[in-house]
Amino acid sequence: MRAARLALGALGLALLATGAVWLLRLPLPQLAAVGGWVAGGIVVHDGVLVPLVLLGGALVGPRLGRRGRGAVLRLVVLVGPLTLVAVPVLGRFGAKADNPTLLDTPAVPGYVVIVLGAAVASGVAARRASRSAHGRGEEGR
Amino acid sequence: MTPRRLDGLAAWLDARLPDPQRFDGDGRGPRTAARVGVWLGVAFGLAFVTGLYSHLAQLPSPPVPLPTAPAWSYRVTQGVHVAAGTAAVPLLLVKLWSVYPRLFARPPRPARALVLHLLERASIGLLVGAAVFQVVTGLANSAQWYPWSFGFVGAHGAVGWVAAGALVVHVGVKLPVIRVALAEPADDPGPEPAGRTRPSRRTLLRATWASAGLAVVATTATGLPGLRRVAVLAVRSGEGPQGVPVNRTALAAGVADLVRDEGWRLTVTGPSGSRSLTLAELQGMSQRAASLPIACVEGWSASARWTGVPVRELATLVGWTGSHDVVVRSMQTRGAYRESRLPAGFVADPDTLLALTLAGEPLHPDHGYPCRLIAPARPGVLQTKWVHRLEVVPA
Repeated sequence: MRAARLALGALGLALLATGAVWLLRLPLPQLAAVGGWVAGGIVVHDGVLVPLVLLGGALVGPRLGRRGRGAVLRLVVLVGPLTLVAVPVLGRFGAKADNPTLLDTPAVPGYVVIVLGAAVASGVAARRASRSAHGRGEEGR
Repeated sequence: MTPRRLDGLAAWLDARLPDPQRFDGDGRGPRTAARVGVWLGVAFGLAFVTGLYSHLAQLPSPPVPLPTAPAWSYRVTQGVHVAAGTAAVPLLLVKLWSVYPRLFARPPRPARALVLHLLERASIGLLVGAAVFQVVTGLANSAQWYPWSFGFVGAHGAVGWVAAGALVVHVGVKLPVIRVALAEPADDPGPEPAGRTRPSRRTLLRATWASAGLAVVATTATGLPGLRRVAVLAVRSGEGPQGVPVNRTALAAGVADLVRDEGWRLTVTGPSGSRSLTLAELQGMSQRAASLPIACVEGWSASARWTGVPVRELATLVGWTGSHDVVVRSMQTRGAYRESRLPAGFVADPDTLLALTLAGEPLHPDHGYPCRLIAPARPGVLQTKWVHRLEVVPA
């Protein structure tokens, strides 16, 4: 294992060094902007997104029983990342008046249908899971 | 700062930052992180390799000649690139959630341990920042949204190397933890503790796999037969003039008036002189038909039937010998993609066309009227439109 770890470390450092070479080919103002976006990604994820998710869980979790928690967890995991992925499409920030072939799907109604479908699927899956786990028990809570 | 004041600051922070032990432990930890991490590694690996291929294919003179067959190679690799990057979003978010309490782990006191701790922190910071950067810039680029001041191609490529390097280092550091975690079952066996209200780790993992699948199907399935209508969150429906979407219109390229010019001529230059051809003369040459995809890095592609004159025939008129490249120039006066270089291997392929028709009609202005380049296995941005000049040059 020691050899494997050393090999991975060496390969990783070589890849990082290549990345550094590519980065240094960028003009300085662009390099600074990339650095700002990389740092901003850490701050927004660790400092905003996760705390919001944890806060939501702390507020909602204790009010739900096992089945409710299972349903909400499934729904958040299914729809949360999808919502972030869909931001550029739902927001249409890159839309161009002269190009109707870009961002031309029915994104908003489609998104609503997906969220509703995911909610139903999450509820059904949570109900099934709690039935098979207990036969009877805490579903009613 | 004096050591005493440093100690005071450390104590102040220690009292205010949450204790990693105090986070709700269920579902978190190495057993989740390792399982999600394996698939995240696969997704990032696929995105890295296919991304490198795209950079290679976009070099004016690739160091190794790229194959022109199969014609769909660029289309499939770039579809995989965007699908893998999209699948990485839920995987990355769940992975980072599962190890989030470790953000608040207190550094060890002994100097050697502290240095190692800080190095590991730095590598993880780099990994998280680079990973978030890659998915954010990649997704925004697909929708032609550029809310930043750097060039996308150079930055996304460079940070891709950084993300790959930081990831490999991280796997090397964590290898013993990963092996132990993967050998253990996802959930402890036996009956669940009575009164337990939290979903199991298995539930979380299944939801994560479903989330990755949903994100891919909803955004990037336009290239898959039968799934086009399901991809409601794709950046394009796949519709467009003559059945093909447009990346850059004639208006945006500043050639809307130029393409209507009756005096248009194609100039072909090479070792044995130059030729000037009218559209009628091009149409009079022997035409070849080919079904070839337009495939963009942005994750969309469309196959279409093109007819035109093989570039090789035109190049041969001015002394092309098989070892020359051909530079293809557009009427566009600005834009990074107003010219492209066709490596000799691509010129030699008879399916590499100076296309005059699409779906049986003269090219729509947004598809490059009066003529455009279309070659197999080539990035969409290099399929130069509104061509007015071909230059046969030494490879």
